[in-house]
Amino acid sequence: MSDKKRRHRHKNSDGKSFIILPIIFLVGTYLVFYLALAPTFGSLVSAVGVFFSDNDKDFSTEYENIYVPVSENSTIPTIVIDDKNSQSDDGEGSGNSNSKKVYLDNEAIEYPVYSNMFGELIIEDCGIDTNLFFGDGDVSLRNGVGVYGGSFIPGYGKTILVAGHNNTYFNGLKYAEKGQKVVIKTSYGNYEYEITDTAVKEMTDGSAYDLSADYENLIMYTCYPFDELGLTSKRYFVYAKYLTGPPIDTRVKEG
Amino acid sequence: MSRSRNSSKIKKIVCVILSFILSLFLFVLSIGVVLEATIFNSDFILENMNSSNYFVDKKDEITRKLNDLGYASGLDDEFFENLLDEIMLTEDNQEYLNDYYDGKSALIDTTRFKQTFNDALDKYIEEHNIKNVDSASRDYLVNKASSIYRLSLEIPLFYRIAGYFKALKNIFPFILAGVAVIIFIIILIFVFSNKWKHRAFRYVSHASLGACLSLAVIPAYVLLTGQLQRINLTSRGLYNLFVQCGTNIMIAVLFCALFFLVVGLCCVFQHNHLKKKVSSD
Repeated sequence: MSDKKRRHRHKNSDGKSFIILPIIFLVGTYLVFYLALAPTFGSLVSAVGVFFSDNDKDFSTEYENIYVPVSENSTIPTIVIDDKNSQSDDGEGSGNSNSKKVYLDNEAIEYPVYSNMFGELIIEDCGIDTNLFFGDGDVSLRNGVGVYGGSFIPGYGKTILVAGHNNTYFNGLKYAEKGQKVVIKTSYGNYEYEITDTAVKEMTDGSAYDLSADYENLIMYTCYPFDELGLTSKRYFVYAKYLTGPPIDTRVKEG
Repeated sequence: MSRSRNSSKIKKIVCVILSFILSLFLFVLSIGVVLEATIFNSDFILENMNSSNYFVDKKDEITRKLNDLGYASGLDDEFFENLLDEIMLTEDNQEYLNDYYDGKSALIDTTRFKQTFNDALDKYIEEHNIKNVDSASRDYLVNKASSIYRLSLEIPLFYRIAGYFKALKNIFPFILAGVAVIIFIIILIFVFSNKWKHRAFRYVSHASLGACLSLAVIPAYVLLTGQLQRINLTSRGLYNLFVQCGTNIMIAVLFCALFFLVVGLCCVFQHNHLKKKVSSD
């Protein structure tokens, strides 16, 4: 091989090495770090992943309103269920094999998510007419009253626990009396309840409500005493029983 | 003849390996220097807080939360309108960060806020002629309000990692010094082990360009794919602060990459220059 050729080849390989070697070093560097962190790499990636998501960032304090009042002509899909095994209000089985009941189709209902406004709560005798939210967070209680997320929505046949501030939307609860009517309007139906009792209890008193009750009942509560400056540890509870309104088919579908 | 060719080959391989190690340590040193100048520097966070409108956002956020507390406790929105001022927020935050970086208890001091709140409450009671105020309800309200203030200003997880942070911060300068010494030794090896100095420049340029690529990859990926914007933070102020700090750190890393690109290219130029000189001789 001539000296000129060797020099030319040497020059070429020198030029390439300035590109190839840095690339190899780049791969090598990350390989070294990967091998060093290999035992914890998976958990490290998972831990970091918890703090990131592709969801759009929304810092607004607005709420979504899914409430559309039920009009007289509206038709909400219903299902007729043979209720022969159901229990009557007094806890006894009806025993009537022909007792068929109309339920709202579970799939036809737009269920609210946290902080959705999904209805209205009205107690005419107390001067209360307010927005009803799902969830009792800041956004809900700033704009109305909210159903506690661990309870149920109207029509579900369980306990509905509604919270509100005593200085704003639930100030009128101080006028609540036995026999007064409570109306809850939702997109899937209007419900009526009747106040049965009121009570003042400590906020830590777990006996003030029964979220496991298997009959529809409404419990509204707010801070007590009313119109007092500051935060109080007592709560004013108003209990109401279910009168009318379309029940929801809550059976779990197979498959 | 063959033995000398073999030893020359081995020497070349050793130099390439050393060049890789140099590249690795340059990468580590750069990341270390960037961290020392950013995360381990309390002024960096404070500067970013000021430039990302952190205190304005935080003031709005805390006022909104206090308004909600007001609905529950009988105070109207007017009460909270001028309750907070950005100077108080800035000073309390500065104290909190300084304490944190000094390794003291990293908690927001609510003394001044409580005093301001109590004064405003006294004025409100007087102006609205409120006669009956239960002291327990009032204390509960003040404590709740100061807890909202404290929690809103504290940076999430800061308190939890305080111990590790302090330990790392203390040993970090020594780690960087150690890495710098190793880098210096490797460069000396290149200089003194090669008869032809252009070879030393060649190995240093490989290492510099390798470090440049390694450094550029992370910020390029993070900035181009918008990874920082994906962080889950519910507070707008904190989100903006995180994105701004993260972006600035990535830009600092990019600057390091640029520095090594320039160093690498200079070494390539010097290598070619010396090589030509050797050839002509």
